[in-house]
Amino acid sequence: MKNYKLIATLLLGLAVAPFAAAQQFEKQAYDKACGSCHNTGIGGAPKLGDPNDWRPLVAAGMARLYKSALEGTPKGMPAKGGVDGRNFTNSEIQAVVDYMVDKVNVALGATAGAPAGAAAGAAAQPLPPVQYNFNRLLKPMDKRNLPPSQDGIHDPANDGTLMLQPPLQGMADLVRSRFGNNTDWVASFLGKKVTPRWERDNPFAEGMVMDLDILRVPKAAVQDVLFPHKQHTEWLDCSNCHPAIFVPQKGANIISMPLILLGQKCGVCHGTVAFPVSECAKCHSQKKAAAAAPQKAAGKP
Amino acid sequence: MKRWLIWVVLGMSLVSLSAQGEYGDVVLNRYADKAGVRPVVFPHWFHRLRFTCNVCHAEGGFKMRAGSNDITMGEIVDGKFCGMCHNGEIAWSAEFCHRCHSGRPGLAGGFYGSQDPSGPSGGGDFYQRRH
Repeated sequence: MKNYKLIATLLLGLAVAPFAAAQQFEKQAYDKACGSCHNTGIGGAPKLGDPNDWRPLVAAGMARLYKSALEGTPKGMPAKGGVDGRNFTNSEIQAVVDYMVDKVNVALGATAGAPAGAAAGAAAQPLPPVQYNFNRLLKPMDKRNLPPSQDGIHDPANDGTLMLQPPLQGMADLVRSRFGNNTDWVASFLGKKVTPRWERDNPFAEGMVMDLDILRVPKAAVQDVLFPHKQHTEWLDCSNCHPAIFVPQKGANIISMPLILLGQKCGVCHGTVAFPVSECAKCHSQKKAAAAAPQKAAGKP
Repeated sequence: MKRWLIWVVLGMSLVSLSAQGEYGDVVLNRYADKAGVRPVVFPHWFHRLRFTCNVCHAEGGFKMRAGSNDITMGEIVDGKFCGMCHNGEIAWSAEFCHRCHSGRPGLAGGFYGSQDPSGPSGGGDFYQRRH
């Protein structure tokens, strides 16, 4: 009996998985290029899943909807959704339109066919999706860089929330990475994609960058750590780390991964605002043999 | 008897699961809820695009430990903490309440989308001793 249930569950999972994956692209593309207006209905944009907004549009035919999405409308819809959508091909944009119409077809069918208010209520308020979220450092793709109105901590009912810049828009030109903000801040700084001010009042001030690498040799069987002062002092003042977090003296600092994971030592920033500890090799970058080499090694940034 | 407890726990877990936030987003709610306004959401990424860590964590008085900065609107209006820049000259002034006080009511303070820094804090402490 138990086996039968297990097999049934697995089969169901296998049957549903391709559909879920197929909608993944449309969902991501929608979030990137369309969601900032169509989630809330800013500027008269038809709200995603709102049958009242979509009924006349769907009735006018898909060809007209595709045309509006690709070329824009005088009412304010930018061609392909604007800056964030311009890199999508025409067929991809059409797929996103299909996705949006799919979303509303469910609601349209429910309101048209259901005489009781209960069914309409169920369609309007779907159950929250199951989220794979036990590790906050490894977000699923469709949960990364969400706009403020969807990130779960901003109040979507607050008008100020809609004024805030969405992360994907703010970080669009930066070097992307897999973790953290999905932005490689150090590479972006190096390539001058991001030029943060060093002092509040003086736009020309530059930090005192110190180019000194420190090699740390962990006792465990992991690669040695090369700490580059350069990439840190481009952003931080000496006093941010010394002496409260790290005593500026050789051998005076006991550092361990548990401490870091608890938000101490390197973990004051790494895992909170700087790249997370899931990027082992960014710090543990030197082969064990390097222990014998002189302290000033040619470290990669 | 115990069934309602299960529902409460399940409900709470769903709430916490859906509260994601961008990496480095901090919710500040020491006073906001009690004062009847939405909690503040501070996005690190947005500020990082424009300023180095140095500006707030060394020039300004922000300590690098979750919960260690006791910030009141009075201080902000006096030009301390957020008010260092949010004064209508460098960034929007404190009149625009809803841009910062934009969090869901009832959210606990702390980091969302990444872990809390808990170690000894640099910067703020040192700055205050030095000046």
